[in-house]
Amino acid sequence: MAAYAGAALLLFYALCATGLILSWVFRGKDASLVIPWFGTLCSIVLMAAAGLRLAAGTDFHLNLWTLNGFGTLSLHLDALSAVFLFAVGLVYLSCCFFAPDYLSRDGHPAGRYGVLHFALMASVVLILTAGDVLTFLISWECMSILCYLLVNYEQEPEGDFTAGYIMLAMSEAGFLAVVIAFLIAGNAAGGYSFGALRMAAAHLSGAAMWDVFVLGFFGFGVKAGLVPLNFWLPRSYTAAPPIFIPVFAGVTLNLGFYGILRLNADLVPGHGIGPGLVALVIGAITALVGILYATTENDLKTMLAHSSIENAGIIVAGIGAFLVFRNSGNAVPAALALTAALYHMLNHSTYKALLYQGAGHIEAATGTRDMDRLGGLIRSLPALSIVFLAGCLAISAVPPFNGFVSEWLTLQTFLRSALLPSAAVKIVFALSGAILALTAALAVTCFVKTYAMSFLGMPRSDWKSNGAEFARRPRFSLTLLAMACVLLGVLPTYVIPALNRAVEPLAGASATASLVPPFFTATQANQQLPPAFLADFHNLGAQTGARWVPGRGLVILLRGSEQNPVVFAMSPSYSVVALVILLLIAWFVTSRLTRQRSVVKSEVWAGGIPNLLPEMTYTATGFSNPVRVVFQAIFRPNIVEDTRETVAVHFRTAIRRRRDETHLVDRLFFRPIGAIVNSVARLLAGMHHGRLNAYVGYVLGFLILILVLYRIG
Amino acid sequence: MSSWFWYGIRRGIQTTRYPEAPETAAGVSPGRPLPTTFASEEQASQAASNCPVRAITASENIATVDLRTCVWCQRCHFGSSNLLSWDASYEWAQTPAIRKDYDRLETAFSQSLHVMVVDAGDCGACLHEVKQLNNPLYNMHRLGIFLTATPRTADVLLVVGPVSENMRGPLLKTYEAMPDPKRVLAVGSCAITGGVFGKSFMSAGGVGMVLPVDVEVPGDPPPPLAVLHGLLVVAGRKMPLPLSTQSREEA
Amino acid sequence: MRLADSSTANAENINPQSYDAKSLAAAIEKHFSSAVSPSANEESRFDLAFILTQPEALPSLAQFLFGDAGCSFGGLIVEEREEWILRYVFLIHGESWIHFILRLPLATKTVPSISAQIHAADWYEREAEDLFGLEFEEHPRLGDFILHDQVWQEGLAPMRKAFDAGQTHLKKRPKEDWHPVLVVQDPGAFAMPVGPVYEGGIGESVHFLLETVGEDVIRAVPRLFYNYRAVEKIAEGKSVLDALLLSERFSAKSAFAHSLAYCQAVEKIFQQQVPERARGLRVALAELERLRHHAGAIAAICQSTALNVSEAHAGIVEEHLLRASCAFAGHRYLFGLNTPGGLRRDFDAQNCRTLLGAVDNASSQLRKLEERLRYSSSFLDRLEDVGIISPDSARDLDLVGPLGRASGLAHDLRRACPYSGYERYRFEVPCETEGDGLARLRVLFSEAQQSAGLIRQVVESLEPGETRAPVAQADAGMASGWVEAPIGAAVHWIRLDREHRVERYRILSPSFRNWLGLHVAVEDFAFQDFPIILATFGLSATECDR
Repeated sequence: MAAYAGAALLLFYALCATGLILSWVFRGKDASLVIPWFGTLCSIVLMAAAGLRLAAGTDFHLNLWTLNGFGTLSLHLDALSAVFLFAVGLVYLSCCFFAPDYLSRDGHPAGRYGVLHFALMASVVLILTAGDVLTFLISWECMSILCYLLVNYEQEPEGDFTAGYIMLAMSEAGFLAVVIAFLIAGNAAGGYSFGALRMAAAHLSGAAMWDVFVLGFFGFGVKAGLVPLNFWLPRSYTAAPPIFIPVFAGVTLNLGFYGILRLNADLVPGHGIGPGLVALVIGAITALVGILYATTENDLKTMLAHSSIENAGIIVAGIGAFLVFRNSGNAVPAALALTAALYHMLNHSTYKALLYQGAGHIEAATGTRDMDRLGGLIRSLPALSIVFLAGCLAISAVPPFNGFVSEWLTLQTFLRSALLPSAAVKIVFALSGAILALTAALAVTCFVKTYAMSFLGMPRSDWKSNGAEFARRPRFSLTLLAMACVLLGVLPTYVIPALNRAVEPLAGASATASLVPPFFTATQANQQLPPAFLADFHNLGAQTGARWVPGRGLVILLRGSEQNPVVFAMSPSYSVVALVILLLIAWFVTSRLTRQRSVVKSEVWAGGIPNLLPEMTYTATGFSNPVRVVFQAIFRPNIVEDTRETVAVHFRTAIRRRRDETHLVDRLFFRPIGAIVNSVARLLAGMHHGRLNAYVGYVLGFLILILVLYRIG
Repeated sequence: MSSWFWYGIRRGIQTTRYPEAPETAAGVSPGRPLPTTFASEEQASQAASNCPVRAITASENIATVDLRTCVWCQRCHFGSSNLLSWDASYEWAQTPAIRKDYDRLETAFSQSLHVMVVDAGDCGACLHEVKQLNNPLYNMHRLGIFLTATPRTADVLLVVGPVSENMRGPLLKTYEAMPDPKRVLAVGSCAITGGVFGKSFMSAGGVGMVLPVDVEVPGDPPPPLAVLHGLLVVAGRKMPLPLSTQSREEA
Repeated sequence: MRLADSSTANAENINPQSYDAKSLAAAIEKHFSSAVSPSANEESRFDLAFILTQPEALPSLAQFLFGDAGCSFGGLIVEEREEWILRYVFLIHGESWIHFILRLPLATKTVPSISAQIHAADWYEREAEDLFGLEFEEHPRLGDFILHDQVWQEGLAPMRKAFDAGQTHLKKRPKEDWHPVLVVQDPGAFAMPVGPVYEGGIGESVHFLLETVGEDVIRAVPRLFYNYRAVEKIAEGKSVLDALLLSERFSAKSAFAHSLAYCQAVEKIFQQQVPERARGLRVALAELERLRHHAGAIAAICQSTALNVSEAHAGIVEEHLLRASCAFAGHRYLFGLNTPGGLRRDFDAQNCRTLLGAVDNASSQLRKLEERLRYSSSFLDRLEDVGIISPDSARDLDLVGPLGRASGLAHDLRRACPYSGYERYRFEVPCETEGDGLARLRVLFSEAQQSAGLIRQVVESLEPGETRAPVAQADAGMASGWVEAPIGAAVHWIRLDREHRVERYRILSPSFRNWLGLHVAVEDFAFQDFPIILATFGLSATECDR
């Protein structure tokens, strides 16, 4: 079985290379067929490879070639990689479809884009299937450069490349940190293959382990978008072209999580709960800062970027909880935490890609991304409004969508902190859990605002409609993602066993065994559950579908101790069935009751004014103003202008208030660091005064220094 | 605040017993002019000339008052010669002449009536009398009559004022925003015939010029009990004044 | 600082000093000798009047009167006869009225504006533009005032003689693409519409546009005149007694006060001497109306803060006063009592004693209510420091009535220009300086107590006598009558022709003045405070709209 997975993987690489070559060859309009066809094929093959690996139990390994002094370059497909590969494939499958429409609309040659597209896909998969450090690092660097090229894809030659530069600079800084981390680990291991690193990890000294963790965590944290390193993320997400941004948000963000998991959980696991706590706290703070700025942001793309930061924070907090539980010996909660983190990663890829594609369509249809100027799109873009609503509900963690399952599992892991030894750690857990609960609430606010201001109400400005609805192919990609959101939310008991393949080796306990009990039939009695509880569950219908539904069961349930046999239980599958039945009953009853009533539609009641004008309806700024006011200490707006213009003192003609906000991270980290660096540079610049005598003096002084050092050493 | 509680207990129940029992306290109603028989025809026509709005008509030696036009200027009550007699009643609600009888609301509304009040150019007195219905002395909530903030949940549109032209549009919009079944209650002489403002370029001359009125309550202003009687008529719990008791203009 | 017009600038600095009528007349003749001349004819029969010969001097004259001499601006009366007659009414505090008359040919299109110098004149000029078609130079906000642009076409000028008031099917040409003039220029700002059909129970028809960015109201623009019934227009041609009905009924909650002002104006023209008994009874009835009005205003404030139990108690007091009014005078709102020459009926001693008992009861109930409210901290929190109008703003906008008195303007026409025998009675004019909602509430309570005291003084000192005077001499003429209505100072100015028909009836109502102050008070307060601030103002839209 693993061989099939490996074959599929190699087939993927072959198809990718073919696609790349074909895009290069057909540089003109014909290339617009290459991306959908080959891209779809590649994505399907990729998902097949991932699925085959998850179905099989063993890894696939392939040595590519050996370099002198650097070790063997190899490919290694294990369960963790397979989970990430599946997410990559799903996002790419949806993106391939709407790329050509965008390209033809904007007039960019599809061939050039196709080259970059396939190259990036190949490098991402290479990162995920790298078996040794060198492959990993080379493909990571390729990925960084390709991301930079794609971010700046739509910029005019005279345009603003700052966002791309900042992203590249931060990526390189993170990359350097990661390189040093790998070097430290590899130095201790003696070799640079992942297997060697794994074996040597146990012998790493405490200080070295901390070094590896800090460098690796913050190095990958740049890509993952953690505070204080996510300075680049909103800028480059806003600057990225709509064809690339779903990939950017759904694929490359995950690479940061993959890096953290691979290095700090798999290869160099470390001892003690310190690293886990750092990850947990950073994750929680990232989530809060992300969602606060998302709620008060009016630009659709920037808002979604901040929301990506929030979700990244949730995932990393889950990873942190996993590390703490694992290193303190609680394997079952560790499995729960890692399952939640991986599930959230999967969910985030789907709904964020959906939302970004939707935002791209909104921008194409109306020409603006400013939510203060949108409105009423539900009438002009009805199909988009339905799928966008699915995306908003999913990201707000509303059942029956997928966000609910992963958020719920994440919050439940924080409640498991009772198992931890020390009170201080429990307090940290409690606080982080509280922060995550706050972010969940703010996320609902944020997306209610997004959907309401963009789609509902009245149009707030005039825009020229660029064609009625979007074409067939993009509709397919959005529907695919929406369906994925629903399926991932309704069938979690099938996703968890698939994720368990990756979770079990890392956590040491089976997530499936802990979370998804088999159907509660009396014959397959579960010894760990008291019979009274089983009887109750029978009465609730927990064994419905036992005979004909495949899989273990439809209930997610965590078992506890004697006094508390069930810690928590939920079943989205049953819930959605119940929801559908209740909706049908409600519809039936109301249609019977109101059969004789006539429904009259009239205009909105607005107090009797002749007509409601757009300037009389709530704006996005107004909606999120309470959040801005409550969290003023974080936002710290500077009042740049607060003028009241009058004619003859009495007649107010204009009141202008402008507030300037500096991002919290900029204020606390980058401005001070920049100031320090600038002052040091200014100091050093004093050296370059242009006097030749002094320069000769520098050379002489340096020569003397070398001689002295040689003498001493 | 517990002191409020004891303060209220000490004050006791002050609500009127109307409609179970008639209210007899002094000053609840200014009363209305009644048809009066005079000694001679001349006196009757003298009485009719007292009225600045020509609401009194004299036929032979009997002077009758059209309550719909009367503005309660009191000139036939005191201060002139040949005064009319006044009573102390307050149950004055009637249906407009064009509607032979009142099309009652279903019994579901008799104990639960939601009222939307619109000020269409009112002088302030009629609106204030309607507002008095909320204070403990009248307390229309005990009769199941409530005020709504939006016409979407209203059963009755209570209009005061002669419908100034600036309010014509909002009034129509309010009426259209109300779902069926709905009734219109015109309160005050301004709302019935335009009162002292009459018909002008800025005044429509009564709600009947703009909307189909179901029940009218004459008065300038009608006291709260008269408005309450009108609401009870709309709710179907009381009968409107029979057509024969007052002389009426055909619309 | 207001601008000074340099055309008649004087070299010496004009020190603000308190003027009386004589010294002010002398100062005016000295400083504006070229521009004004005293009026010696018919126009100055009752009031000190000056003719303005140079229209350009108007702004600097206004600046002098309002800024330096400390006069209060009473209003602008516009008449169309053979020429335009613009009459600017000023009040010399503690003294008397002074009128400035500007005559312009009918072909004149523009008049200098004094809104820059006297902010209170802003709305008077907008009203004149809408109703008469007169343009005021440099007034930046003309139009869309009484005749809303969204409904009516431009250039209607209904108050002009050529316009027939009786046309009932006037064709309206609404402006399809009308947008409100929004002042806040924040990209996320919007204007929340409230009204005119007020959603909140029972309210008068007023439309507000609350400009905001979400949390607090940055600017509130009231759009009034939904209740405009053109009372001044339909009064033209009516007999004195018919127009009396209009004076009572354009704002029924102050019906007695307005009809009193009207009757006083007519009595001046007819040269009637009102008997003492009638004057005393008029004082008692006016104070009864004030007491009842203030009880209602207190109930409205309690309702706005949602302290329903206190609203209920205040409502009971008000209803008892309404019933007492009806039992005493035959009508709950005191309609039909005033007539030129006195009152239409007399009241016997028993009746007066019953009234006194009811008033004493009401006054003690209000005192108890005030005591209780003093200890309701949640109630006080909603009023204290909310909706502040500083004394400077109040002076600048020339606010009147309890609203002005709560912000330090201790002006009361009953004291300043006593009428109907008020000089005989002892009463205080309560005044506060904080200018917030709580100060306005305190002023209402104090004035209510003062009114009760006045009624007692009247009833106890009532002498038997006539209550109505005959008409002494009937001729054409013009005069103004004034009254301190419950909401503030009101002036009714009438010109009668030979047949005693009304040629021009002008109502300068206090609500028209005080509505101008609302936008100052609500700026930068939260949405939740807006209805409370509105209730503490105690304004009447229908009194403003007429």
